[in-house]
Amino acid sequence: MNEVLLVFLYALFTAVATGFGAIPFAFVREISERVTAYSSAIAGGLMLGASFGLVAEGTVYGRGETLIGALLGVAFILVTQLLLREYDSQDLVFGAATGEGAKKMLLMVIVMTVHSFAEGVAVGVSFGGGVTLGAVITIAIALHNVPEGVAISAVLRPQGVSVARCAGWSVFSSLPQPLMAVPAFLFVETFRTALPYGLGFAAGAMVFMVLVELLPEAYEHGDRAQVATVATLSAVGMVLFQQWL
Amino acid sequence: MTLEPYSEVLLFSSLAAATAVLGIAPEAFGRAPSRAAIGWANALACGLMIGVAYVLLTEGLSGALIAGGLGTLLGVGFVRASHAAAGTGELDVDRLESSGPGDGYKAILVDALHAADEGVAIGVAMAVSMPLGIAMAATLAVHNIPEAMVLSTVLTRRGLSVPRAAVVTVAVNASQVVLAVASFGVLGFVPGALPVVAGFAVGALMYRSLVELLPESYHQAGETSIAVVTLLAMGVVVFLAGVAP
Ligand SMILES: [Zn+2]
Ligand SMILES: [Zn+2]
Repeated sequence: MNEVLLVFLYALFTAVATGFGAIPFAFVREISERVTAYSSAIAGGLMLGASFGLVAEGTVYGRGETLIGALLGVAFILVTQLLLREYDSQDLVFGAATGEGAKKMLLMVIVMTVHSFAEGVAVGVSFGGGVTLGAVITIAIALHNVPEGVAISAVLRPQGVSVARCAGWSVFSSLPQPLMAVPAFLFVETFRTALPYGLGFAAGAMVFMVLVELLPEAYEHGDRAQVATVATLSAVGMVLFQQWL
Repeated sequence: MTLEPYSEVLLFSSLAAATAVLGIAPEAFGRAPSRAAIGWANALACGLMIGVAYVLLTEGLSGALIAGGLGTLLGVGFVRASHAAAGTGELDVDRLESSGPGDGYKAILVDALHAADEGVAIGVAMAVSMPLGIAMAATLAVHNIPEAMVLSTVLTRRGLSVPRAAVVTVAVNASQVVLAVASFGVLGFVPGALPVVAGFAVGALMYRSLVELLPESYHQAGETSIAVVTLLAMGVVVFLAGVAP
């Protein structure tokens, strides 16, 4: 089979895997403020852990570049927040929610989608060494995506978004992976230079989202000690999971 | 094993502990820090801690993921248990207005226990490599300043003189020095314990920063500025740790 097509199919498979992250939320029947709080803590922890992985990979290519990328990622979220603020809260509709809830969900989907661009490049660049390792990398990325789907669903589901739609948005957020993997695979050298900036950007945007939206939300409605426990264990769990992959 | 590495651990951890005295500066110049400044100080301390957790997770586990995970659980459990035993779980060291007469002592106790985990972090980093250990001590030296600023504000508002408050803020860090030397020593004899001890420090530090430092800071200075300060502090640690070979 054509190598380019193969890279695309592999990366498409990893995107679909993100949807599995919605499954645990099929078992969450009632949605209360406490559920929202602890879901936010889980999402925050998972994203924090995931960005540790991005930073660790980015700094291999370049420390300063990763840091600059991270600052750009923060600026990106700040600007997006500002733009969203322009909307009258009632005009903004996301699924069944309007106003603040809709803004948070939209921001979450944007952040996770943007981070997938960088990961798509990382996939393409690592395939650049040859597609022989393809299956291993694909399985690793697919597994990596599942908890990220959990994070997205943890934010969307408490706002009344159906499990199927949570899965749909999770897959959507990973679509940049196949889209970016192909050009990165074809032009490895060019993309390798940009990679640390991209990984830093993704990490900065994700950590900022955690600090500015998810943790404050969790503290607001949850018990402080439980929130800290859930977030810490999710973050470390994610890091260990990724190191295992 | 010669005494020399021990004296290095002792020297650098003592320097880190002693920088706490700088935290008294605002009080000494008769300008009590504003509420927002206390929030930023906490966010700075928090970001440095999470950065430290990142460094320990990437450098300290050397692939022993189960041991690292167990250590993390122990670390979180230890801090939770110590809060429960000391009755400091619900203590807000920063909510100065509403604290009772015994809270000054509790604030000291919380900080002394908290410094102990940080000592373990120094010991672990020194055991990984001396340059990493020095970078870690430098990070915690910076981290100790805002923390001391918060504690000295608590103490002087309770009527303690500035010199006395200065002595107390440095003295609570004695546990940092002791534990740095002790954990370095233990790891010298049982190198295999490194992942567990590193995991312990990660769990304890992350949990503490999320339960003690971050929650109140949001109320003191607002989400956006807290997120920015925390993230920048994390970035500094990632950068510093990269300097160490
Ligand atoms: Zn990811
Ligand atoms: Zn501290």
